[in-house]
Amino acid sequence: MTMLADSPNQSAPASGESSTFAKLFAKVFANQRTGLVLLIIVLVVIFGSLRSAFFNEQLVLFPMVQQIAMLTVVGLSQLAVLSIGHLNIAVGQMAAFGAMFMGMAYQVWHLPLYAGLLVGLLAGAAIGALTGLIIATSGVNSFVTTLAMNFALLGLVSLVYTQFTTMAAFTTKPDGMEQLRRYSLADVCVGQVCGSNAIPQIAIFAVLAMCLVGYLFSRARTGREMLFVGANPVAAELSGIPVRHRIIGAHALSGALAALAGFMLAVTSGSFTAGIGSEFMIPSFLGPVLGGTLLTGGAVAVFGTFLGIALTQIIKQGLTMIGASVQSLSISLGAILLVALSVDRIRQVVSERRAVRR
Amino acid sequence: MTSLENLTSTRISLRNTETTLVVVAVVGVVALTISSHGAMLSGNSIQATLAYLATPILIGLAQMVALSVGQMNLSVGALGGFVAVAAGSAMVSLGVPAWLAVIGSVALGALGGAINGALVVFTRINGFIVTLATMTILTGLQYEVVGTETISNYSSGLRQIGAAAILHIPVVLLVALAVAALLALFMRRSLPGRRLLASGGNPLAAKLSGISNDRSVVFAHCLSGLIIGVAAVVTLASAPGVNQSIGGDWLLSSFAAPIIGGVALSGGSVSVTGTVLAALIIRLVDVARAQFSLDPNWINFVIGAVVLGTVVLAHRRQTGKTGSPRATRRGATTG
Repeated sequence: MTMLADSPNQSAPASGESSTFAKLFAKVFANQRTGLVLLIIVLVVIFGSLRSAFFNEQLVLFPMVQQIAMLTVVGLSQLAVLSIGHLNIAVGQMAAFGAMFMGMAYQVWHLPLYAGLLVGLLAGAAIGALTGLIIATSGVNSFVTTLAMNFALLGLVSLVYTQFTTMAAFTTKPDGMEQLRRYSLADVCVGQVCGSNAIPQIAIFAVLAMCLVGYLFSRARTGREMLFVGANPVAAELSGIPVRHRIIGAHALSGALAALAGFMLAVTSGSFTAGIGSEFMIPSFLGPVLGGTLLTGGAVAVFGTFLGIALTQIIKQGLTMIGASVQSLSISLGAILLVALSVDRIRQVVSERRAVRR
Repeated sequence: MTSLENLTSTRISLRNTETTLVVVAVVGVVALTISSHGAMLSGNSIQATLAYLATPILIGLAQMVALSVGQMNLSVGALGGFVAVAAGSAMVSLGVPAWLAVIGSVALGALGGAINGALVVFTRINGFIVTLATMTILTGLQYEVVGTETISNYSSGLRQIGAAAILHIPVVLLVALAVAALLALFMRRSLPGRRLLASGGNPLAAKLSGISNDRSVVFAHCLSGLIIGVAAVVTLASAPGVNQSIGGDWLLSSFAAPIIGGVALSGGSVSVTGTVLAALIIRLVDVARAQFSLDPNWINFVIGAVVLGTVVLAHRRQTGKTGSPRATRRGATTG
């Protein structure tokens, strides 16, 4: 489900082969998502057979799905700017910035749960839009701008926390937050049929975000224009696309999604602290890149981002249960990233050769 | 904007950047001296200020070398931390002599960098992602070597060098400045250095003139790793001990110095002087923060604001000169 901008310099996956076998092969081979799904299934079977506790709904699957849901939103936040060929190094600090406003909304302004969430999302979108505005007007590279923004927010958020809180955390919990943390779909019943114990209710936010971002990039005009900007900014400008607005829009979306991820982390961990988002940067790239999003812009994979994050979390969980140490986890994650991308590269080379031969 | 125009205008703005940085640094020192009633210029105070300058200069230079060919090295902190703990534990548990550990550190750093470069060239994966992956791996390796312990009972000779100072100028800073001088000479005068810049400035033109861009990329990463190795040695010598957290905060600051110093992220131009001066200014901000006993978080905020201000101003100046404002620029890792 990769969404490509239909620009001439983006070669579409090979199609129209003569033999059906080749067609099938090309289809499966050309789709990174198929490989990810297969890998996930194989890993789940292996881990499940090694440790039957892997399928324990409340103790293993529930927290794991919570993590996957939160990190998927983090990945989508990065994906929003990757679509226009930009990077967002400040994704973690934007999450902290949004979460800070949510914490203040609950503790200082005594707002209800969803009103506070809205305040945080708006704050995230605003800081993202500001970043986009700086990039669009000054023409400075997105890496530098978001890096500087990361520094600035890192300082600002910590300063606000030390100013407004006694324990460096907003601990007020509005009604509904505790339920959101603990309840799963098993607590939602339609007649006699209840949902699974393994799916936390908070995962709904991730599903909503995926649907929204998926719709934006596959159907909505704005999203398609963002992909065009990513594929070829000059051509986009010449075709009358408001490039500046699309850049600001993509960064605002990234900021809002980061804030949503910050909210999800705060709900699962129970408090709003300055440390929210400090671990977001690496997963934010892992998900989209493993899923098939191009770093150069013009192609995004929304469902692939979810699969990429799910794969990394399943490996993490599985290795922990087998008894692997923390350090081997990060070693294996790095190795997976390299291997997955090398395979992708081989795939690309093979399909290029076939295209030449044809 | 053609690359030639780009090159000349960058060179002009570079000179401007360096002058501005000197002025800012001098003003900063004078202001700090006045506000501290002259205590800033006392011998011990100078030594304390400069002792913590060596590592920022070195990691800034390491990042600058990677930037010179248009690459990024996200593994600076992880590689530095890994090399530091590896050398530390080699000295303590294997009884490796200090001189060998120093040479080994530099070699290990260079090797790590070379692996980064080779991966970029052979897999054709974006350097950003490759170094992100090696960063994750190296962080794991660092933890593997040292666990939760802090290694501190290694060579006392190395420690003494780390604490030593000539005329209140710490030896470790002299090491960093020597590296900077050699690097400047290398980039300006030597053939391999010019090749790096040519590859970074315009890969196609470089290729047509018979320069191997692949070799440049591997070489730049290798050199970047080598400087990180030196930074690891400096850390070993001057820090009270090495543990899992060494290098954790290097990544972002490694970018701050070259960017404030006027190094182009797209490659092709470097400024060793600018990078060193920028590291000095960041250090002065930290000193000021301590002097007025402000919250440490102010420093991040100020660095962020300064980087943002610098790049926006530099860009304004550049587009003002050539008269061709560009609405958009591709992401840093494009191509």
